[in-house]
Amino acid sequence: MIVPIQSIKKPQPAQQYWRSASQIANTAKFQDWMHREFPEGASELPEGSTRRNLLKFMGATLALAGLTACRRPEEKIVPLVKGAEHLVPGKPVYYNSVFTMAGSSAGVMVETHDGRPTKIEGNPNHPHSLGAASTYAQASILGLYDPDRIAQHKKDGNAIQWDDFAKEVPFLFAGDGAKLRFLSQRIASPSYARLKGETLKKFPAAKWAEYEPLSGDTAKEGARIAFGRPVAANYNFEAADVVVALDFDFLGMDASTLLNARQWASRRRVRDHHDHMNRVYVAESQFSVTGGAADHRLRMKAGDILAFTQAIASKLGLEAGAPASVPGGEKASKVLDVLVKDLQAHRGKSLVAAGPRQPAAVHALALLINQTLGNIGASVQLLNATESTTEVEQLKQLVADLNGGSVETLVVFGGNPVFDAPADFDFATAYGKAKTRIYHGEDDNETAAVSTIILQAAHYLEAWGDGVNYDGAAAIQQPMISPLFDGKSQIEVLATIIGAEKKRGYEIIQETWDSALSGDKAKAWRKVIHDGVIAGVSSATVSATVNQGAVLEAAKAQAAVKSSDGIELVFVPSSHCYDGRFNNNAWLQEAPDPITKLTWDNAALLSLATAKKLGLADDVYQLETEAPSFSSQFISIKLGSGEVKIPALIQPGHADDSITLTLGFGRQKTGQVGEGTGFNVYPLRNSAGMSIAAGATVAKTAGTYELASTQDHGSLTDVLRTRTEIVREVTLDDFHKDHHAIQHIAHEHPEFQLYETPAYDSPYQWGMTVDLNTCFGCNACLVACQSENNIATVGKSQVLMGREMHWVRMDRYYTGSVEDAQMVAQPMACQHCETAPCENVCPVAATVHGPDGLNEMAYNRCVGTRYCSNNCPYKVRRFNFFDYHNKRYDWFTLGNKAPEIASLQYNPDVTVRMRGIMEKCTYCVQRIAHVRIQAKTENRPIRDGEIQTACQQTCPAQAIEFGNVADPESRVSKAKKLDTNYAVLQELNVRPRTTYLGRLRNPHPELV
Amino acid sequence: MAQTFKKSFDLKLRVFVPLVVLLGACVALFAIYLGLPSNKDVGYQPVQPVEYSHKLHAGNLGMDCRYCHNTVEKAAHAAIPTTETCMNCHHRVKTNSAKLTLVRESFAKDESIPWVKVHVLPDYVYFNHQAHVTRGVSCVSCHGRVDQMIKVSQVAPLSMGWCLDCHRNPAPNIRPVEFVTKLDWQPDRPAEEIGRELIAQKGIKPPTDCAGCHR
Repeated sequence: MIVPIQSIKKPQPAQQYWRSASQIANTAKFQDWMHREFPEGASELPEGSTRRNLLKFMGATLALAGLTACRRPEEKIVPLVKGAEHLVPGKPVYYNSVFTMAGSSAGVMVETHDGRPTKIEGNPNHPHSLGAASTYAQASILGLYDPDRIAQHKKDGNAIQWDDFAKEVPFLFAGDGAKLRFLSQRIASPSYARLKGETLKKFPAAKWAEYEPLSGDTAKEGARIAFGRPVAANYNFEAADVVVALDFDFLGMDASTLLNARQWASRRRVRDHHDHMNRVYVAESQFSVTGGAADHRLRMKAGDILAFTQAIASKLGLEAGAPASVPGGEKASKVLDVLVKDLQAHRGKSLVAAGPRQPAAVHALALLINQTLGNIGASVQLLNATESTTEVEQLKQLVADLNGGSVETLVVFGGNPVFDAPADFDFATAYGKAKTRIYHGEDDNETAAVSTIILQAAHYLEAWGDGVNYDGAAAIQQPMISPLFDGKSQIEVLATIIGAEKKRGYEIIQETWDSALSGDKAKAWRKVIHDGVIAGVSSATVSATVNQGAVLEAAKAQAAVKSSDGIELVFVPSSHCYDGRFNNNAWLQEAPDPITKLTWDNAALLSLATAKKLGLADDVYQLETEAPSFSSQFISIKLGSGEVKIPALIQPGHADDSITLTLGFGRQKTGQVGEGTGFNVYPLRNSAGMSIAAGATVAKTAGTYELASTQDHGSLTDVLRTRTEIVREVTLDDFHKDHHAIQHIAHEHPEFQLYETPAYDSPYQWGMTVDLNTCFGCNACLVACQSENNIATVGKSQVLMGREMHWVRMDRYYTGSVEDAQMVAQPMACQHCETAPCENVCPVAATVHGPDGLNEMAYNRCVGTRYCSNNCPYKVRRFNFFDYHNKRYDWFTLGNKAPEIASLQYNPDVTVRMRGIMEKCTYCVQRIAHVRIQAKTENRPIRDGEIQTACQQTCPAQAIEFGNVADPESRVSKAKKLDTNYAVLQELNVRPRTTYLGRLRNPHPELV
Repeated sequence: MAQTFKKSFDLKLRVFVPLVVLLGACVALFAIYLGLPSNKDVGYQPVQPVEYSHKLHAGNLGMDCRYCHNTVEKAAHAAIPTTETCMNCHHRVKTNSAKLTLVRESFAKDESIPWVKVHVLPDYVYFNHQAHVTRGVSCVSCHGRVDQMIKVSQVAPLSMGWCLDCHRNPAPNIRPVEFVTKLDWQPDRPAEEIGRELIAQKGIKPPTDCAGCHR
């Protein structure tokens, strides 16, 4: 039946949603993206391959095919010599461990297949991960199988054995250590800290510096100002009805986000129209996921946050020395009035939290405000902390010692100070002045390159260790695999250096925790290892009162030094590399940034007004012209002696006169993945402006650069109809008034169905819901899916052609103006339509429906016509244009095989797809099959919640439900009955099994 | 201009070209026929590193299959036994046998024995022993009378069509679970009848959709 398009009801858009400037401008390139499955030319051979080459390849392929047919390849089965208990070949074993990064730790549960770690999940027992895992933790498994990691101990460039080093230790480390220094990353391991103490005891004249490029020092300093002694302030987002985040990306990259996200999400979950939510106000310069999740987002220069905080304090009756005008313009002053009213109305149930980029005075002021509002003891918990100098001070002292010639031996544990130390320290030169430079790490980086002795570190999945959090929650790190090379952990190296009696990692951590165990110690220890956490260890809470006078004094002093004129630079961690440590991690490099959707690169983010001011563009479309990729104009930024040339990118909703620079890219010495990605901005980062730097000179400079952004890929917008109902959003008030408000946005009554619904005769009918109200777009699901389903990474050149393989496309929509945009995130994967349009066009029946409602994909049957992808209204099918798994980094050069070690990570339960195959989300069919077979064996039905898809399991906000929609009592069925439930592209009536729960925003009624 | 070809060439062309094409087609068809799993794979009998006789152990001595293949009921793989399993008996029995040299060496040196895989499925097929054995599909249905084989060879094609034959009509291959490893099981009434009863009783419904085996 041919249906005239006019007969489909056209929804009246309440709000316009857009993904990019090209979409608003409706440029030709954008149209191309929207209408074509892939942009024009994407299916062609890459440049440089001639017909001759092609024939050569074809000939070679034929010859090889002929040869392989001659003899059947012999396959071997190699069983163990002696059996290991609980080890059943082909069955995964899960171990609890802990992932530590930048001074905090999160419990993980590691899936191992026949002794190979393959996937990282969150440890449900751990109070900070609660079963969720961040993108960094999940992707850290690639570090274990990184072909570029340091695989050999070295001295002066020559390979040595560990014992050679051990023999040298007495000569290298002699005397009282007056000429001995240590530099490590921030320590989150009690055993490590204990050995550090013992080391300093043995070498009393030695000094130890801890340094991380992204520190929490200002928060510590702020608390010290406020309370007059070291205290750690711990925020509880669950206890707050009103949250004010001051340049604090608490859901994103500014904190250990898993617990924050869980607490925040618990206050956003709306089940029926009586439920209430918290209200989140965010003031920030860049656009963060927290800003995207906020109910009110104010864009203002990071340097103006202090003034804004002072204004809040003044309105609350504190003599904070508020500026004459509120930064952020008219909107900000309006929001400020309401915000203060809201805070006053929620005394004891609100929270004002400052981010790590803000100076100590803002933190102190925030604590004072919290005290004034009675939040301390409720949403703000005070914990005991120890006195320490700031990390920058520690590093500064070390550099001074090095330059003074008083250091003979410097031991660097991890990190990459040559790359990431403040530019004004000139660490590289200072480092060269130490005679013996020992670097212990996994990453073959800039620091390793200029060290005299390189000790290869064991990956955390290879070694015993432990991790603790700021609140004292402790966990044990246990090895999953013996070191692939001969790596040693930090604690083992330290134990050797001090000549400790117990040198093995296991003995060291046992010694650390022996006193924490009681009763039958052997049994208690086994339980600790099994659970992964040490129960009953926590920091003592303290009560303290904020010294109002000191805080207000500090605020005024800070306000006096602050110069808010000119363009400020703000340094932020990267969703790809963090501070540079994940630079060689392909999953993280290719996961599109939650906001900019950039892959494999960073850019200088600025607002439209700033771009105009710099003469970069007359309007936003000019800078962001050429979709799929857009050529970005280079700008040159000078600050002090540093100069950086970096492409500029207009970020909707960015503060004016502010440039956000992402750290961690542009490494000079990194592996084959990270090589040539992005631009190094550390040369602009000085000790005086580690987070926010004023006084930079910015100018347009010659040249353009192609950035690989995925923001227009898979656009669902239709030219004929503006499908604004793809993401649905109403205010909480409107939802209270009309609890069908979400469904009313586009209430479709499809009168026809293109295909007949097949007979779904299984008692299990799988379905999914995604709660857009708690999803904030962090990418954890995207990486989890990649890890679980052996999804290839393709590289920047392929992303530019729209060939990224992620099964979950994390769509990010803006709404509002380019100047002051709001954001909604929507993860989009195969919707498992009951009447799937893809199935009918497959000439070989490679994609068909199963009896349980799955839209199945038989890879071995697929011949790669790509008709299915062409016919998919959600654009969620992915095609392997090349053999990405085998020729990963340089896919068209014959013979450049991907390193074999990388294949150790593969999940053996999922086929590794080759060239010419279509693939897409399967609802983790391997997990379904595993549970189904187990349930059959035990003669019982499958229990609700027994099957968790990879994305669902790892979601920090628990936004995803999966289960049997045929069972009315299942969690997913109940979610689908909610008034906020809707299907995307409902008018097509393809009956998708994945539906969404609409987004509710909770703006203050006075501001609507 | 002189003719390039003689007139008789026309006839030759008309006869030979179809002949060549036909011959080519015959060769291709024959090659395909030879390559069918039922021809190519059935009878595959590789040489094993240890001259182990299933006939002796499972047949004459009457050992249960699961003594060695102990994970068959709880995992996808029916594990090939560890050297330790062999040595359970052979540290007392036939301790000096030359045939067992490799086994003893393996145990002493802690080096695995590289057994050769007989039943090879493509990597995209996720066959699960647990699902079959616990539902009453006997070893013999796929592996034949291993208890009579001195050297194991493949008896069934293990092709997709062959799998589906049974998945569509499982009755002839379903037996009470207790007889799964009794390869010479002889029921007193037609096996298919018993199979049908068990299918009804247990609600056995083998998957015939792609994702049943391909993931």
